[in-house]
Amino acid sequence: MKTVLINCSPKKRFSASAYFLFLQRLFISGEKVNGTLRTPADHARILEQLRDTQAVVFCLPLYVDGIPSHVLRFMEEMERFCRENDLRFSVYCIANNGFIEGRQNEPLMQVFEHFCSRACLDWGGGVGIGGGVMLNVTRILFVVDIVLLLLNTVLSAVNTGSFFPKEAWISFGENAALLLYFNLGVLFYLGRMGGCIRNRTYSGKKYTRILIPSFVFIVFADIFFVIASLFEGGLFRGWLARKAAEEQ
Amino acid sequence: MKVILHDLGRQYDGMLEARCDRMIAADGKYAPCQGCFGCWTKHPAECFMKDRLQQVCRLIGQADELVIITKNLYGGYSAEVKNVLDRSIGTSTPFSTYRGGQMHHTLRYGKHNLWKVIVYGDVSDAEKDTFRYLSERNAVNDGFERSEVLFAGSPAEAEELA
Repeated sequence: MKTVLINCSPKKRFSASAYFLFLQRLFISGEKVNGTLRTPADHARILEQLRDTQAVVFCLPLYVDGIPSHVLRFMEEMERFCRENDLRFSVYCIANNGFIEGRQNEPLMQVFEHFCSRACLDWGGGVGIGGGVMLNVTRILFVVDIVLLLLNTVLSAVNTGSFFPKEAWISFGENAALLLYFNLGVLFYLGRMGGCIRNRTYSGKKYTRILIPSFVFIVFADIFFVIASLFEGGLFRGWLARKAAEEQ
Repeated sequence: MKVILHDLGRQYDGMLEARCDRMIAADGKYAPCQGCFGCWTKHPAECFMKDRLQQVCRLIGQADELVIITKNLYGGYSAEVKNVLDRSIGTSTPFSTYRGGQMHHTLRYGKHNLWKVIVYGDVSDAEKDTFRYLSERNAVNDGFERSEVLFAGSPAEAEELA
């Protein structure tokens, strides 16, 4: 069985969509083909992969309560392509948004359902994820934890001759467990949808989020944007001001 | 201020301009949003891409009444219209708050009045329901007091409803 997984994020690297697609791949068996959809130049290559596939997984960010415009352009072309070539396969969707409520992806899911109806494809359902940006940060923190563990191991080996610094391993285990906990909802629902993709059955629309309280999430989100705006300079350029439009 | 955003084509520009204070023609001749957040963190309320939509969030942000005329695409906005909306997130600030019981960004330009959507083209009943839901969500997200969705039989009728 062949599954085409399409990363629809416009970002070149470190996108949350790439992270969730990586996790989804872990739960799918058979031939897996990756596609990246950033510009119209990517359309033809992805469409060719659809000729003999049994399932397609779209992974995309939520933009203004809906599907990003560059993905809509592809979907219009994909509808025509599937109709002209009489293709039929199942379509699944992983949507993520920066707000904490995964349910905010509901309009996007409905649009995908209507797309499948128009293109005569089987709507397989999807997973809507809240706190996508912050979940993406957890994978970076996990890599940092591994690097710190390796450094501690080297230092321990040099200083004491032991390759097993107990405290460093305990600290790593605690951090890894915490990061895993944040991702549990996502892992559960992507695992569940992976089973449906394998069997080409309907998975329903499921919504999950990073597993921290909303009021804590908001504080961290605000801190993130203050730091980002500080480094990028927006903080000093009328950060929250009501900017007037220049006459064009 | 009344702002009209439409994808009807250049032949409708003159008629629609007479019905509003500012008009945005969604003709697709601009780049899609790159998701960089620069309009929040680097150059507030301005996009780094120097095309016609570079300051579109400043226009939409100051609209008391926003009228969107769009062809139906799977129960949502056409790609051309959605492109403009995607590039307008600088109407809000990067700070978060609760609105309508859910998390949203605080508003750079304060509250607005009406988010009105006029849909033309072939549209099913299920797609109509999605459009109403989507419009409500957009209104809450962008701080509009109310939303309204109208369905037109043709582009000409859509223009008359604006």
